[in-house]
Amino acid sequence: MVAWAKQGHDAAFRELVRRYERPVFSLLYRMVRDRALAEDLAQETFIKVLNGIKSYRPEFKFSSWIFKIANNAAIDHLRRKSIDTLSLDGAPSAETPDQVRATSLQLGDRAESPLDEVESRELGTAIERAIARLRPEYRSCILLRHVEGYSYEEIAETLDLPLGTVKTYIHRARNELRGYLDDRRE
Amino acid sequence: MTDISMHLNTDEIELWAQGLLPAARAMHLADCSLCRVEAERERKVILQLVQLPKFAPSAGFADRVMAQVKVHAPSGDWTA
Ligand SMILES: [Zn+2]
Repeated sequence: MVAWAKQGHDAAFRELVRRYERPVFSLLYRMVRDRALAEDLAQETFIKVLNGIKSYRPEFKFSSWIFKIANNAAIDHLRRKSIDTLSLDGAPSAETPDQVRATSLQLGDRAESPLDEVESRELGTAIERAIARLRPEYRSCILLRHVEGYSYEEIAETLDLPLGTVKTYIHRARNELRGYLDDRRE
Repeated sequence: MTDISMHLNTDEIELWAQGLLPAARAMHLADCSLCRVEAERERKVILQLVQLPKFAPSAGFADRVMAQVKVHAPSGDWTA
């Protein structure tokens, strides 16, 4: 299929979109929690993948390549958005560039726009809201692990992270999720 | 061989939650309420994650993508 698509066949491209549109859109939607925006990012992802398909290396899992591009698009967006939020609200007490990045991502994340009707039906459940409270880096790891069923090694490869970091992120993410879900019951 | 009295680590708990932990290690749960509580909580979260629905983009998504992709037409021409 991918080999066929590499020759630029319309039908093969469509088949690849059909096969991956739901997983890619679902990941992006859970990352940015805005349907229209997730769709823009998904579109951007597929255009990049299909126009760049000649550079695809077959030793890399094709879905990993798509998720890598999708995740980068989401993280870039969240980072840009948080910088906007910061410049509006004034910088927090961050001193080093790393702290700025860390706090800005979290700030942007919290400054979430309200969900519309469809979005709150789709993303309003307790587990979805708990996922939304995770740092974006934790969120993509946990979604790839348990929604896509990726192994730790595949996630490390997809997200360009050391294996140990992936494990730490996933364990922390599950811990935080448990905490958020328990809070709700008290 | 791992000692049956050893607590389960995070990886083992994840395996157990997925029904993949070897019986020899899973037996530890019968004797250790600490690990049992921990494993049960972890299982609940993992189950909720695994059951998350997949969402679909709106109708015509593929067409909108294809409109911006370079397709190598059978004739050998590049069309937008
Ligand atoms: Zn134990």
